[in-house]
Amino acid sequence: MIKTTKANIVVAGITTYIIRRLLFMIPVFLGVSILTFAISNAAGDPIALIRQGIRSAPPQVLEALKAYYHVNDPIYIRYLYWLWDLLHLDLGRSVSGTLVIDRMGPWVLTTLELQVPALILAVLIGLPIGVFSARHQYSKSDVSITTFALFGYSMPTFWLGLMMIIVFSLYLGWLPPAGAAGITRIWWGSEFGDRIAHLIMPLAVLTYVQLATFVRLIRGNMLQVLREDYVLSSRACGLRERTVIYKHALRNAITPIVTILGLGFGSSLSGAPALETAFSWPGLGYQFVRATFALDIPLIVGITVVITIMLMVANIITDLFYGMIDPRVRLG
Amino acid sequence: MQQETELESVKTAKRDTTETRRRGAGQWAVAWRRFRRNKAGLAGLFIVLFFTFIALTSPWLAPYPPRSFQSLYEGEAGQPPSSKHPFGTSRAGIDIYSEVLHGARGDLYVGVGATVVAVAIGIVIGAVAGYSRGAGGEILLMLSQVFYTIPLLPLILLFARVFQIMVVRGFGLTLILLLLGFFGWSTISFIARGEILSVRELDFVQASRSLGASRWRIIFRHIVPNILTPIIVTATLLIAGNILTEVVISFLGFGDANTSTWGITIQEGIMYMRTEWWTPVFPGLATLFAVLGFNLLGDGLSDALNPRLRD
Repeated sequence: MIKTTKANIVVAGITTYIIRRLLFMIPVFLGVSILTFAISNAAGDPIALIRQGIRSAPPQVLEALKAYYHVNDPIYIRYLYWLWDLLHLDLGRSVSGTLVIDRMGPWVLTTLELQVPALILAVLIGLPIGVFSARHQYSKSDVSITTFALFGYSMPTFWLGLMMIIVFSLYLGWLPPAGAAGITRIWWGSEFGDRIAHLIMPLAVLTYVQLATFVRLIRGNMLQVLREDYVLSSRACGLRERTVIYKHALRNAITPIVTILGLGFGSSLSGAPALETAFSWPGLGYQFVRATFALDIPLIVGITVVITIMLMVANIITDLFYGMIDPRVRLG
Repeated sequence: MQQETELESVKTAKRDTTETRRRGAGQWAVAWRRFRRNKAGLAGLFIVLFFTFIALTSPWLAPYPPRSFQSLYEGEAGQPPSSKHPFGTSRAGIDIYSEVLHGARGDLYVGVGATVVAVAIGIVIGAVAGYSRGAGGEILLMLSQVFYTIPLLPLILLFARVFQIMVVRGFGLTLILLLLGFFGWSTISFIARGEILSVRELDFVQASRSLGASRWRIIFRHIVPNILTPIIVTATLLIAGNILTEVVISFLGFGDANTSTWGITIQEGIMYMRTEWWTPVFPGLATLFAVLGFNLLGDGLSDALNPRLRD
């Protein structure tokens, strides 16, 4: 007989919850892939695009290519072929001939290299600033913090990047404007410094924008929580202000933020095309823009699918955090 | 005698109804009084009105027509800001000041239009999802969640690219407007659904149901007017987001090349950014202030309309 302890129930709840979420991922995934597959195939067939590159292809080669891309089959059959290949971790070959799946690893890492540090920095800086701002509502420092944040989330991210390139690269010449594409991913030796130099500006821009959203949310939530009765009563009980703020109030203010943080990660992942293009940062977004311009169908579908999977995984992780921080939330 | 008292009671009843009516209209007056005290919200309102004015009158305000390379023929391409060209001219001979004014027209058209489309879709889907208890409601909720999870910007870029070259041509900015609207309704539908779930069981809804009102009549005559306030706030903030996304789309080159937008001017400026900084700077500043205005207005409306904060 299994003793049903509280911990057991929680673990079982989380497991069923994860299974449910994974099951929910299937229709989302199928929807996105069908949509992407259909619309990009409406743009033409891969053979014609390859033929633009090779003027005089021998007929045998053309036949082989047609067989490879299943050009003569109707589109739903082609989609099923694609799905079958995907189950074998094969996303097909891009128009340039390379295996799409081989390109994904480095591109995902390049994107995460920018997104993850920005998110961590934004949380670490944003928490104390947001709490401070809420505690000193309508003071001069609160007004300047709010204004600073307001500009952050009202600005086109890529444009701020361009302004920084103009000032720090073109006029002052301190940092390289672009061209991280040429650097191999080596985190030691002489290339390390170069990589960091390329990272500074996009990281600063992304951190600022994330920070702005984050500070605004923390401030808003803290203001609501500080009006609650239990804050008043813990103060009346003579608890130290630090304990009231950080132990009682912040814990309650932070729960909605965790969700929004996950969504923020998602939206900045989705918004990566613009920022990465401004800095020629060779991540998923930059490559997606290039592939879409070239109408490289297997590449477009591959990148969209990978971004979708990353978004869904981020959502699940967020929800798990949510359950961890707020014990009232029962997942399942 | 009896007739007179009856008349009297009718009179009082009449007075009562007018009184309630006045109090009903007073809700907006109270909100306006609250809003008027909010300096940031007022600033937002003025910025929004300012940009709306520019957008409506740009054909007469701007010294040059949209997408005109006339300065090139006047031998004034690539010039820094001067009294004749307040924001300078691009290397290709476009007067940036005119382009910023025309861009306000294009970007507000997309920002506001896409929001109208999104609100219409979101209210219908959210209302039905919240009101119906069966499988239909579950499916609509799931659909909203799908649209909330998928990577919107990449999909919009892909659709814009393919539609422009293959499927439909000549739609111009309206294509971007429709794409943003069709992909961006999920937040609105969540709010509509949440509000309806809380309003659905209230007495007045039950009363109209018992009088035999149809489901659609209940949703759109009785429930939707009651949930408008949170939707107005979200829609204002959504306009800001849509303008930002449109600027990104045009900047990446997926917009309409024949219409003036802020994003396309920025994109044309980055090639010669080293010497001609004014080309990307001014349209970006315009975007910043327009989006700032809608954000401030949205926050101000949220404070003014939130009944919990009402004193």
